[in-house]
Amino acid sequence: MDVAIIDYYANHGKSFLHKAKAFWKIIFTAMIIASIIITNDFYLLLGIYIALVTIAVWTKLPVTKILTIAAYPAIFALIFALASWNGSWLRAGVIMLKALSAALTMVILIVTTPYPDIFNVIRPIVPKIISEGLFVTYRSVFILLELTDDLIKGLKVRGGITRRKYINNVKNFSSGIGLLLVRGFDFSEKFYGVMNVRGYGGKISSDNTKTSISRNDVIALIIGILIFAVSLGAVIEKSLLEFSVYILVFSAVALVISSIYVLFDT
Amino acid sequence: MSHLHIPDGVLPGWLVMAGWIVIALILAFSIYRIKNTKLNRKIPLIGIISALMIVCMTIPIIPIAYHINLSVVAGIILGPAVAFISIFIVDLIIAMFGHGGITVVGLNTVVIGTEAFIGFYLFQLFMALIGRDSIMWSSGLAAVISLILSTSILIGVVYVSQINPEIVIGIEEEHPTEAANVGNVPNELVKGINIKSFAKTILILLGIGWILEGIITAFVIKYVSRVRPDLILPERA
Repeated sequence: MDVAIIDYYANHGKSFLHKAKAFWKIIFTAMIIASIIITNDFYLLLGIYIALVTIAVWTKLPVTKILTIAAYPAIFALIFALASWNGSWLRAGVIMLKALSAALTMVILIVTTPYPDIFNVIRPIVPKIISEGLFVTYRSVFILLELTDDLIKGLKVRGGITRRKYINNVKNFSSGIGLLLVRGFDFSEKFYGVMNVRGYGGKISSDNTKTSISRNDVIALIIGILIFAVSLGAVIEKSLLEFSVYILVFSAVALVISSIYVLFDT
Repeated sequence: MSHLHIPDGVLPGWLVMAGWIVIALILAFSIYRIKNTKLNRKIPLIGIISALMIVCMTIPIIPIAYHINLSVVAGIILGPAVAFISIFIVDLIIAMFGHGGITVVGLNTVVIGTEAFIGFYLFQLFMALIGRDSIMWSSGLAAVISLILSTSILIGVVYVSQINPEIVIGIEEEHPTEAANVGNVPNELVKGINIKSFAKTILILLGIGWILEGIITAFVIKYVSRVRPDLILPERA
């Protein structure tokens, strides 16, 4: 998980999804996740995955990096697929595609939406301690990442992590985590104190939390509705699954055209 | 190391819902338990412990997405009630990275929160039995036992779900030709997930992790107890 890179992408992207409001993007994400949950057809799921890759291309961010981040759950899905193996590659493929597609959907959301915007949308529905905890955790991650970087450099320079001295390495690494905890706590306490002194009352300022709808929001919603409608249609009327291969081909063509367009556009 | 990395849409809906209901009740109870505590001190501690768990999850120990959780450290330092809140925050954030399904955040929190819950009480028990000088052994043992128990819960959840891909995934109806091949494989595999195979795979993979996490937890707690003993107090419960 490259938290810093994800944060950079979310704050510096210029695509229509970056411009869309967090509230509508969460609706868009929920619709795609719902599609993945209700879809059990391999070809349709593959079509959805390729459609998501196409959306990732539209974000104009490094697609390979996004796909790598979103591929994280693949290894666990593989364990699950192997454990339920019955000789059907399609079943294994469905399990893998569900994991990969859901992860890619979430990654598309976070590489196009700064975390505070997402937290602001969910703030009204969660208790105060959780909403504040989310924000302070997010801030603390960056404090710790910086401290971790310094710590690892320090450990290497002073011989704290050396080859073949595994016990020493674990001991030094663990003490390093303890140090991170203690120093991080001091930083976090000061940070929270400063926020309170400056009038923080549980609300994070953001200009991307309004629910009024713009052109970019509509585009995101239409894509979400389209994907959900196809999945729902296939669930209600099984005979529609005969066309799942066409949807797969359509997604693949869209991906190729989008990739060429974005390549020449940038 | 005991995450429930089951993909979205594979677990039955009732189990996913049950996970959310259980975690909602636990969180409500946890918030009720700490209602008289000042947030000024709790929030930074929740923030830093949650962030530390997230950062540790970004450092793979073995290149197969193997990482430490620090859930027992969270339990010992925050106490069981606050640890559940912290772990819920961690699970919610990492689910946004695709690390664990977003719909199974409730179940994930139940499993990992159990580590923190059991870890805290075992740590207190061992400290009382072995003595306060044995902080390393107490925390290390508490971590290993908690991880074993939480893994058992993980296997239990998969067992309870009675995942039957023919029903859950519905491949038979959609692709009759593929389904025909199913008839060639042993009956117990056709019924759904092979719980024995799943448990074996999970236990082999996680077994090494328990020991490693136990050692790391022991050293982390030892360090914190030396530098900031006020962070590890029994009354935090």
